[in-house]
Amino acid sequence: MVLVAPRPLLRPAPSGDAPVDRGTGAEVLALLRGDTAARPRFDPGLAGGLRAWLEDAAYDVIAARGEHAPPLFLGPRQLLGSADELDGRDGRELTDRLVLSRLVRALLRQLVQTGEIEDPLGDALDALHASGEEADTAEIESLSAPARAVLAETLALHARNLTGLVPRFAPGWMPRTNDRVAIPLAGGRIVLHGVFDLVVGLPQPRTASVCALGLSTSGPWAAARRSLHYLALLETLRSGSPPFRLALLESASGRYGVEDVREEHLRAIASHIAAWLGNADSMNTDSMSAAGAATTDG
Amino acid sequence: MDALVAPVPTVDAATWRAALDEAKSKLARLAVRRAGAVRFRVTDHEVRTAFSPVTVGTDTATPFAWSALTARRSIGVAAVRSLLAGRARSPLEAVRDRLAESSLWVRDGSSSATQLDRWVDALPPAGRAAVGAEAVTWATRLWCALDWSSFPSTPVVGRDHWWDSPHSALLALRGRADVRSANAHLVVLSGPRRGSVRAELALVTLVEALRLRGGDVPGRVVGWWPDSGHLVRVDPEPAVLTLGTEAVELALGGAGTSLRSAA
Repeated sequence: MVLVAPRPLLRPAPSGDAPVDRGTGAEVLALLRGDTAARPRFDPGLAGGLRAWLEDAAYDVIAARGEHAPPLFLGPRQLLGSADELDGRDGRELTDRLVLSRLVRALLRQLVQTGEIEDPLGDALDALHASGEEADTAEIESLSAPARAVLAETLALHARNLTGLVPRFAPGWMPRTNDRVAIPLAGGRIVLHGVFDLVVGLPQPRTASVCALGLSTSGPWAAARRSLHYLALLETLRSGSPPFRLALLESASGRYGVEDVREEHLRAIASHIAAWLGNADSMNTDSMSAAGAATTDG
Repeated sequence: MDALVAPVPTVDAATWRAALDEAKSKLARLAVRRAGAVRFRVTDHEVRTAFSPVTVGTDTATPFAWSALTARRSIGVAAVRSLLAGRARSPLEAVRDRLAESSLWVRDGSSSATQLDRWVDALPPAGRAAVGAEAVTWATRLWCALDWSSFPSTPVVGRDHWWDSPHSALLALRGRADVRSANAHLVVLSGPRRGSVRAELALVTLVEALRLRGGDVPGRVVGWWPDSGHLVRVDPEPAVLTLGTEAVELALGGAGTSLRSAA
């Protein structure tokens, strides 16, 4: 990972109830801005080359699965493996982590939109209600009072760290959250998809000009960073240029890291996906056929 | 997105008029056949679900409800309109203004207030922020995707066009487009790539053709998936009118078996 400023990559979170260092968001912003005169120009053939590599691998899968097999929808969980699954955590804990992740992401969107969080659990529930995610809200609202208090406390910690970490973007930076990417391969029979938590900057032809911020609510850091590289690859395939810089914010600890996107990151992820696809015919892919159909685009 | 400003291929006027007449007479027959039935509006949604019977059950089982997702286009197009008019400097600002406008209209009892405005106004601040965030993303993607200065005249943003059947007040067709220029219509698409997309876009061409006087040929229709950057171009050709009419027939539960299997 390439540091773009002489700062520790993993910045420790303030301990206990100490007020979060409000300067941290400004630091993240300064690192994202970097030297605006030195925006990297990528080889215009890069995106085409990466796509051709993935298309070759995808067509091998289609040849093995058959022309009429339902499309495969592949996201970071399938392609990169979930750290939770690798750790052997049980289903209940996984569900709790997913719910926490949704709540924290709702708070991130609110922070970008309004600049403040008043009541973390109440605000996040209101956001999920407005987003039509009634199943999650019903589950949380049915929690016992002690369980709800624990969740509220956990969420408050994440909210404090987020408030410190997330820069206050001027509207001219065009901050947008929940930016979905879906890249069809093999004529749409395989779809690689993912969601940027936050993107800033204006896309420009042939120049890497946008920054992407990823949120990790439960780690591990390396897995979250790999997911960001995966999203950078998808952005390269979508627009022809990768994001020029990535930031990873860890809301549980308040740590963050910022790095430039390099061709080797994209090649490494593309190579991993091509290898994954190479082994796909030996996997049970039934559950991957319908999972993303309702939500992925294009 | 050069497809929006590139010249549209010339169409043989006589062939076009013949296809348009055929489309009109087929729609007249469909309208008469539906006499006595409830009012039926054919939109891109009906065409899409008609092509994918599997999703029909789930779509119809779930009644429409406003949510951040269903509200994003309405708020997003208002924001892009505001940016285009120079009333806002960024999508974030434009969306905030639009949400504030909702509350203002509702509280003042303005006749401009819609069901969406009332829903937005009733939301708590965090709910409104979630709705705003989704609309900002939608608007930013559209605003950044086009070179707005390349249009010879200011495009129209987010104006849907309706065609009401002259043969029956029960039948109406809607052509949804998010940006309309002198010779093109841009439709922002969502959901997975699907076989029905050309028929959905053909409905836009059909509605434009039916609304134009003197058998004029409408502009090109361009479908765009922001998630992938993919474009689908439907140039105005006689075959597109046929496709659009067959899609309407299919949506109304008529024939169109060949269309469905083709999808």
